[in-house]
Amino acid sequence: MRHDAVRGHLDGLLLAVLETGPLHGYAIITAVQQRSGGVLELRTGTIYPALNRLERIGLLRSSWQTTGERRRRCYELTEAGRRTLAGERTAWREFTTAIGSVLNPVAPPGAVT
Amino acid sequence: MSAVTPRSDPVEDCVSTLAAAVHGPARTKARMVAEVREDLTDAVAERTRAGLTYQRAAAQAVREFGTPDELVVSWQRELTIAQARHTARTVALTVPLVVACWYLVRRAGHDQTWELARTAQMLGVHLSGVSAITALLAAVALAVTGTLARRLPTPDRLPLAVAWGGTVASASMAFATLALALAAALGTDWLLFASAGTLAASSHALVAGSARSCRRCARLPAVGASSAGAR
Repeated sequence: MRHDAVRGHLDGLLLAVLETGPLHGYAIITAVQQRSGGVLELRTGTIYPALNRLERIGLLRSSWQTTGERRRRCYELTEAGRRTLAGERTAWREFTTAIGSVLNPVAPPGAVT
Repeated sequence: MSAVTPRSDPVEDCVSTLAAAVHGPARTKARMVAEVREDLTDAVAERTRAGLTYQRAAAQAVREFGTPDELVVSWQRELTIAQARHTARTVALTVPLVVACWYLVRRAGHDQTWELARTAQMLGVHLSGVSAITALLAAVALAVTGTLARRLPTPDRLPLAVAWGGTVASASMAFATLALALAAALGTDWLLFASAGTLAASSHALVAGSARSCRRCARLPAVGASSAGAR
């Protein structure tokens, strides 16, 4: 799936992979790719401004963590982030149900095809 | 060990090209660039462990990362908002100081010994009002680009408005500095005026620098892109 098709859902994807615990940028990218079975094609450079924006609006918080000689910025969900993720899930379910019912209409009983 | 020079390293080339293409608060930009460098290093390491040469692994990681042309709009949009917030914070913190400085000038007029103080008083009343408006704009900008942004789209022109608000506040601070310097030279309480003038001059330097950067960011093409693309 092309990266511009993913763009409108990037917030939800980032919040969802952080639900299980704090991750740094590369681990977030890997988690999105793994969960999608490699189908979602992200321009990995787009996640940094998105993470910065989610932190700015209070859905994530971040801190530098040092492992050996490496410093990594780790992100985790805030309470507001968890609530927003729940809202994103509900909106996504409603959206896919609506689109699905248009694309795959259930034929009424007795209808001639 | 591979003989890779920094000049030919695709990761360094990519990071430095992107860093040169975007503008914003030094700390935020440095943080984002450092993060990218660390994560690209991880991506390259994972590929070299899988058997690729460093050059091929780095080229692949950079390709997945995206070209600076593809990324500059989203990066600049976020950095422009970060710069607007930085300017707004600086204005919100320094304007109360400059209003206090004008209050000092106003006090100086009570001895009625020199006409300059009266002129400065009148100027001070107007510029204090203008400064208060810019401080209010700064507070609104901080709210709109902060938690309120969860519900409201950030207006495209907000960074430009903050930039010009900051410019007006810095001009007001420059007038305050001048008036306080004259008051220090002509008045009796020169030490108090000189201290207040130094404070106003420092505030002016801070706000003017930040407002200049904000004007520069707000003029860049990324700001014109619709905020709908921010998601």
